[in-house]
Amino acid sequence: MATAPYNYSYIFKYIIIGDMGVGKSCLLHQFTEKKFMADCPHTIGVEFGTRIMEVSGQKIKLQIWDTAGQERFRAVTRSYYRGAAGALMVYDITRRSTYNHLSSWLTDARNLTNPNTVIILIGNKADLEAQRDVTYDEAKQFAEENGLLFLEASAKTGENVEDAFLEAAKKIYQNIQDGSLDLNAAESGVQHKPSAPQGGRLTSEPTPQREGCGC
Amino acid sequence: MSLWALPRIGERLSASLSSSNHAVIKEACYEELRKLSWSGIPRQVRPITWKLLSGYLPANADRRECVLQRKRQEYFGFIQQYYDSRNDEHHQDTYRQIHIDIPRTNPLIPLFQQASVQEIFERILFIWAIRHPASGYVQGINDLVTPFFVVYVFEYIEEEVENFDVSSLREESLRNIEADSFWCMSRLLDGIQDNYTFAQPGIQRKVKALEELVSRIDDSVHLHMQQYEVEYLQFAFRWMNNLLMRELPLRCTIRLWDTYQAEPEGFSQFHLYVCASFLVLWRKEILEERDFQGLMILLQNLPTMHWGNEEVSVLLAEAYRLKFAFADAPNHYKR
Repeated sequence: MATAPYNYSYIFKYIIIGDMGVGKSCLLHQFTEKKFMADCPHTIGVEFGTRIMEVSGQKIKLQIWDTAGQERFRAVTRSYYRGAAGALMVYDITRRSTYNHLSSWLTDARNLTNPNTVIILIGNKADLEAQRDVTYDEAKQFAEENGLLFLEASAKTGENVEDAFLEAAKKIYQNIQDGSLDLNAAESGVQHKPSAPQGGRLTSEPTPQREGCGC
Repeated sequence: MSLWALPRIGERLSASLSSSNHAVIKEACYEELRKLSWSGIPRQVRPITWKLLSGYLPANADRRECVLQRKRQEYFGFIQQYYDSRNDEHHQDTYRQIHIDIPRTNPLIPLFQQASVQEIFERILFIWAIRHPASGYVQGINDLVTPFFVVYVFEYIEEEVENFDVSSLREESLRNIEADSFWCMSRLLDGIQDNYTFAQPGIQRKVKALEELVSRIDDSVHLHMQQYEVEYLQFAFRWMNNLLMRELPLRCTIRLWDTYQAEPEGFSQFHLYVCASFLVLWRKEILEERDFQGLMILLQNLPTMHWGNEEVSVLLAEAYRLKFAFADAPNHYKR
């Protein structure tokens, strides 16, 4: 299917990282399709999703790379960190081991992204309160100590899923506004107002737009 | 053309397989079996043909029963020896991961939601993983058990397999299916193990080869992807890691594997040509996409739901042509 003209002002690149089975793909699916997929097949390498959302009156297109949690795929998934404007770092509130591994995920994220990359910590499966193994407060504290945004969410009910992506986008947008994020820097993870086709380093190639742009 | 449509060839195939007629399949017969199988194997002879082509069963019919018995015993010997170690400290991560992945294998097919089937998969994968520490268990390998399991269930039933209740099988039959699936999967993986070792060099190499090949055979598709900054690794990694199983319905994978087993180096080499053929098959759809997002979404969800033998035959014929043109001509291969 051909795409509509570029009705958005920015593209933000995101990655989703975290242990296997914490629900990374389900968060993405809930965000892009507004549906919960139980037992969705595990991600091989990386998978891609996209959606446009509005932040402070600006239409922003999110390009989201959902990474496989398995260690063996790390050689491939690591190459997606560079050039991410936002990172969703996910753990499962019912499995403490996934929380305990956060510091190594964070080290990876810090080493492989640029200093401006906005990282949001997501405690997924918040609907499974009875099986909770990680408290809200300790995760909140971990996030504060490391300068991360933080939310608990449920890919199953959809609770806070929208906000997880939105909060990170707001912060990125704010960084653009106050000049702390340099759009010209290589791998900022943000592209501004593509009037040419997205991709291709935004060359001035005269690609016809599908529908009138009104000019 | 499919063997299904050619009963006489099917009969010839059956005849060359029948142990009562030929005590020994001569080299020439074995070659004929390969040739006949290339275009698709009829369901009723598929189990034994797969076992022969994979080298699991000896061509000599007199020895088959004895080899089968020995291999099946050997497999259950491994289970006895190693399976209890799944909760040991150095194996528990492997086991836990397999255990999490199994319910997510073929989630839409009821056959695979049965507890006894899931336990079979767990045993096969765990034993394979600890016997191959250089790669260990890598996600995607779980998918590769499926075609063998389904085909070897066919050996014991007449009906459709997707909704089949395995508890109606005799216990011994189920054990045979398990052991045979293990050994055939092991043989397959022997040929592609560098797909799953550290940093997955086999996959990296094949994705590069795919890119080079596509740049030779379809310039416009290749340049279109370049223009929109789509990298081959972004979509073809999964094609290699899961042998296109995520891109095709299971029935098509089974048909594809008839050819992969009939073709020398089918899984390790010919698969590359199939991937190239698969990509350019969608050239019209690809060229219609005008941005990165659209291309990625398309390439991750190619519409093959309705595919059957005919589509796979077209795919394979083109792959064969590509192989013929490029495989032995490394200079053709380079730009």
